[in-house]
Amino acid sequence: MSSTEQGTSSAAPAEPTTAPESAAAPEVPESFYYVHGKDKVVHKVSAGALQHSALIHGMISNLGYTEEQAKANPFPFENIDGDILQMVVDWCNQHKGKPTPPEDTNLPKQKEKLFDLVLAVNYLEIKELLTYCCKQVAMMVKGKSPEEIREIWMIPTDAEDEAAEKEAKKRAGKEAAGETAAAAGDAK
Amino acid sequence: MPIRILSLPGKDLQYALKCMDLGDIIAFSLCSKRTKNLVKSSNRKMDPPRIHTYENRIRFEIQTMIFKNCYEYAFLDIFDSYIELNRNWRYEAWRKQEFTQADWIAHFMSIFHGLMVEELTMETISLSFLDTVKQIIPKINKLEISHLCSKELAKTAFFKLAPISEEVEVEKNIFDKKKELFKCFNLNLSSVNFDNSPTGYQLDSNDLLALKIKDLTIEDAVITGKELNRFLKLWMKRNHTFYRPRYLELTLRQELNREEVFKGIEYQIVNCERQLKRRDGKKLIISINGEHLTLEFRI
Repeated sequence: MSSTEQGTSSAAPAEPTTAPESAAAPEVPESFYYVHGKDKVVHKVSAGALQHSALIHGMISNLGYTEEQAKANPFPFENIDGDILQMVVDWCNQHKGKPTPPEDTNLPKQKEKLFDLVLAVNYLEIKELLTYCCKQVAMMVKGKSPEEIREIWMIPTDAEDEAAEKEAKKRAGKEAAGETAAAAGDAK
Repeated sequence: MPIRILSLPGKDLQYALKCMDLGDIIAFSLCSKRTKNLVKSSNRKMDPPRIHTYENRIRFEIQTMIFKNCYEYAFLDIFDSYIELNRNWRYEAWRKQEFTQADWIAHFMSIFHGLMVEELTMETISLSFLDTVKQIIPKINKLEISHLCSKELAKTAFFKLAPISEEVEVEKNIFDKKKELFKCFNLNLSSVNFDNSPTGYQLDSNDLLALKIKDLTIEDAVITGKELNRFLKLWMKRNHTFYRPRYLELTLRQELNREEVFKGIEYQIVNCERQLKRRDGKKLIISINGEHLTLEFRI
């Protein structure tokens, strides 16, 4: 398992050097956690950065892992592609402890990955990033005609929707018939 | 690179729709029945549209508030088989197979929860289309019938659409016969304004007694002091009977003779205005100012 270290490289608390004694509040050492996606590449992320994700924040808030325990137990997100998780981690690190501005130019711009990014961000419950991604999705069709929108967003026509619905009904009917037959077989 | 928007989780999809501007959301709604339903369910807040009918097109003006005192507008011209959208001063023509003018209007009324039209201004329109308008538009806040309409159209539009309108303004005299005016006065309407007429609106006491319009304003009205006097006397006698009008304003062609109007009528002067009081307690405040007459009925 390979490992990439993101964000602050040192887990040790920084020592105050010049601040007067009375003003120096005792600093709590920053804790780090580890996450990996489908590609198993482990990313080291500070708890501060992970606070953006309501899902992960909820998972870690009561764990109280030591550095070693956290390293030994990375959070697996098998449903998220490695490069997408990398984007998310980068974003969380860049915005550690600060709110996202309405127009964030530091955010990922890769449109080809936008759809997967939205799904991942939605899963990880990173509200600010999700807001931005949805805005990016909306921007894809700015000034476009219905035909262009249909193409960009792969919207099926009414005929295609109807055909898909018929097919789904047919499949559901077959499945139901299969289940009935199986139940009848079991009863015998 | 395309993206399957409809596969996004519902909340994200709705948020993406929320981020789209008005023109884009209209375009999206036209992609399929599913996208139309998505726009409908997005509960995007729209002000009721303003509609203008012209000879060959119907114009929809749609506005939505982006934030306080800041609005976004979309102007759509609906022709027989296509629509023209004005986006950032650029006109785009969109067609949809088998869509008629009525289908387009129904589509826009539907996606913007159009139970009400803010303003319907009629200039010219085919008579047959009036029925379609009535079917598609359940309620109109203000109906304006322009002087550019033919008399026949204006009259038909008035009798068909005034009952579903909160406020009606008619810019031409639509009454050929006295009985038509009487019929109009008998409608339970909220607010009607008849503008200038070269022939004037001939009124008598029977018209005023039959009046059921709550708030009526007539410019170029013609009524004699004697007829008004008769009306006032009859109104005074009608104790405990319901009289729907609350406000009547007439701009007369000739100044009224006050003595003739109030002959034989007992009134009080309250705040410089004449006030009649019936035995059932109902009051009528009359103000005559040159050629301007207002009657204010108070319960």
